[in-house]
Amino acid sequence: MKSEPTGDVAQANDAELIRLVCLGNRELFAHLVRRYERSVYHIVQGILDNPADSEEVLQESFLKALQHIGDFRGESQFRTWLTRIAINEARMRLRKYRPKLYDSIDEEPDDTMDFRPRELRDWRPNPEERLREAELARLLEKAIRALPPLYREVFLLRDVEHISSEETAQALGISLPAAKARLLRARLMMREYLAPHLQQRWHHRLLDRVTQRRRYL
Amino acid sequence: MIRCEDVLRELSNYIDVEVTEDLRRQIEEHLHACHNCAVLVSTTRKTLSLVCSSRILELPSGASQRLLDRLAMHWR
Repeated sequence: MKSEPTGDVAQANDAELIRLVCLGNRELFAHLVRRYERSVYHIVQGILDNPADSEEVLQESFLKALQHIGDFRGESQFRTWLTRIAINEARMRLRKYRPKLYDSIDEEPDDTMDFRPRELRDWRPNPEERLREAELARLLEKAIRALPPLYREVFLLRDVEHISSEETAQALGISLPAAKARLLRARLMMREYLAPHLQQRWHHRLLDRVTQRRRYL
Repeated sequence: MIRCEDVLRELSNYIDVEVTEDLRRQIEEHLHACHNCAVLVSTTRKTLSLVCSSRILELPSGASQRLLDRLAMHWR
């Protein structure tokens, strides 16, 4: 039997919406979909790098979440639980259709401390001014795609979707120190990928200096 | 005295303000004296702010409606 939702359900928190969905108001699940569809799609697309596959996984993930909503115990946040479902769905798809890529998820070692940062020249003060918005978006997409899957997942969760360290670890089913180690490595790899595009070049430095001197002449 | 390796290990925690006050102070002292580490920290920060400021990905057109249509079959 359905219980009538009270108040403005669109403003209700996740736990309240889930309670109402479990009571039979299944169409209220649409509010949870609206809240998290973008985030789930970004993460899944980041893993699969294929819009058609990502859309199917997006649908499968929400469908699974709806079908198992009664199993959600509220021990983690709904978003974490949903993200875990979506990551598992995406990995299953990789395993099925692109097993080579999937294998690399387990092969990557957490060897952050062997990592030696290169490209230690400073960047231009406002590197984004050199690139138009669309160019920057393309460059960042390429950089994220270049990360090995293990690091891409953690980077997408933490730095693209801004999910907390604890939730990220839960969603990936790994320990907090492991999540942090992977994130550090992912950030360093992103930085090195972007560096050649954003560094201050010697002729710019020279030009800046000359311009500065002229100003005082 | 904190070394470059220590700064590298704590880089993420430092940027996320997840280090103790004492460690933060030690890292900042090191950054004043070490150009390479200062560049590493500032360019990693810049990397994250670029990612933050960029709208990386939109949902494909119609995806949201197709998702709701598929789910609606299960809540009817």
